[in-house]
Amino acid sequence: MPDVLPNFRSLGVILRIMLLVNGMVMLAIFARAASWQEGVQQIVIVSALLQPVLLSNLLLLFILHPLLAKLRYPQSIALVIVLVSMVTFTIQNWGSLLYIPQNMVNENYYMWRNVLSAGAITALLLMYFKLRTQALSPALHQARLQALQARIRPHFLFNTINAVLGIVRADPKKAEAALEDMADLFRTAMSHASDLLPVQQEILLAKQYLALEKLRLGERLQVNWRCENLPDDALIPPFILQPLLENAVYHGIEPLAQGGVIDIKFYKKDDALHLEMTNPRALREPSHSGNKMALVNIRERLALQFDIEASYTVESGADFYRVQIVLPYLKSKSTTNQESTADQAKYS
Amino acid sequence: MNIASITHSAPLTIFIVDDEPPARNRLKELLQDCAQHIPLKLLGEAANGQQALDQLSATPADVVLVDIRMPQMDGIELAQHLNKMSPPPAIIFTTAYDTYAIKAFELHAIDYLLKPIRQQRLLDTLLRARTAVKIQAEVLRKLTSQARRNLSSHERGKVYLIPIEQVLYLRAELKYITVRTLAREYLIEESLNALEQEFAEIFIRIHRNCLVAKKSIEGFEKLTEADTNETHWTVKLKGLSEQLPISRRQQHIVKEIS
Repeated sequence: MPDVLPNFRSLGVILRIMLLVNGMVMLAIFARAASWQEGVQQIVIVSALLQPVLLSNLLLLFILHPLLAKLRYPQSIALVIVLVSMVTFTIQNWGSLLYIPQNMVNENYYMWRNVLSAGAITALLLMYFKLRTQALSPALHQARLQALQARIRPHFLFNTINAVLGIVRADPKKAEAALEDMADLFRTAMSHASDLLPVQQEILLAKQYLALEKLRLGERLQVNWRCENLPDDALIPPFILQPLLENAVYHGIEPLAQGGVIDIKFYKKDDALHLEMTNPRALREPSHSGNKMALVNIRERLALQFDIEASYTVESGADFYRVQIVLPYLKSKSTTNQESTADQAKYS
Repeated sequence: MNIASITHSAPLTIFIVDDEPPARNRLKELLQDCAQHIPLKLLGEAANGQQALDQLSATPADVVLVDIRMPQMDGIELAQHLNKMSPPPAIIFTTAYDTYAIKAFELHAIDYLLKPIRQQRLLDTLLRARTAVKIQAEVLRKLTSQARRNLSSHERGKVYLIPIEQVLYLRAELKYITVRTLAREYLIEESLNALEQEFAEIFIRIHRNCLVAKKSIEGFEKLTEADTNETHWTVKLKGLSEQLPISRRQQHIVKEIS
């Protein structure tokens, strides 16, 4: 996984920067202070400079992020450090009456010390974000592998082939359609390299998967799609729906003799996409661990790609199981404005 | 046994159990193909264990093809109930994928077929079926980590499935065990010790010859025998008027449960 600049437009990144910077400064102050009172006093004084500098930098990086993201990684981090130092210098210069103590002997030292500290803290933070991405990226690699394995899960593969063989003599047309669905499913599973794909494509794939399961399970498998309020230009990470559905079929529908309904609600609300999937669950079905890996992986991928802007919650009742996923609403390239291409770039 | 000797005997009767219609269909087609090589007759098919037991106790089959993963009652439990019929049918398991079960089948030389099933493999297995050895009850129990969901009682050629949660107590009497539910009593031929182990979470032993369902215990009472003047504890079960004696050795459960 190549190094990428942190996404300065993501709420998670902004919050992390604010917490870490303030935390580091406070630590430094209290390390020097002789008493709590002095520490608090110092924090108030330092904050008068620190907060404007921090907020201005965050604002600047927020605005410039699309441009920064286009540069190569070494250049972009160098530019970020230079920008932050410049902002720090400028604010101090403008507000010199306010910031530089009247009795200060060495004004120059004071000025340059702050600019250098700002640069150093920025470098530290960039290193932190780089390490964080590296620590989390195995989850992404694993996700691709697992998504592939999930789709060619032996249980699904052999049962489906068996079902197709079961209808090929009686209903060759239906068998043809089933094999075509299977080919599509496997092609997508094996070829995917992108991080985001149009939501309708993911839904189509999920429907092809369900058609195959319906071949085996017949009337036992009922699916209720409700995605009226879903914009066509929305993008989502691949392999979110299908593993969830496979889990619902394997643990929810198959153990029930009379079958049941999988309920999928997928809609846009405010600036987020909400996915809510409910499936029945057999009362005596023992707690399962088999496909848990796929679900844990979805959670990890969402955390890595969207940080705190995505959420994943599970509600497990006595006779039902519900997964709720909230994703930021990202638009596809087809609506070509600067904004959306920028959005694309920042998650790629 | 070779093909020649089989062709002279009566056709092999076969029964299919699988919850998925296309899978049953596939087996039927394959059996039709096999019928050109050995005389066989498809007796019927069922989508679940209960249906299979009902139909098979009416018309027994030589061979039962049993899918492992089925709702309500899985193939292993069905085999446990089928095994008690007299004579028991030859059981051939079918499965698409189940590494755990397959390892166990190999270990105990139990016949199984992998889906999608090849005609030749099915034919080979059917040719062996008549001479197949009955799978031992302990082996079947080892195939699954789960306890059965039902006990089965065979009466006058009919198989009764008794859901385990309906059982109030199990009492050993001579060579049988009485299974008591609210509605009636059944007799089964099993060992009380094995039942105690299999359903350790559900039943508790109150006497050398008796296990009671923990959740149906209503209370305990101390009774005095009129003739000997000895006192002993009894347990009262929900919905049942009779009280079951607790042996001295098991008296500690009175404190543990109440």
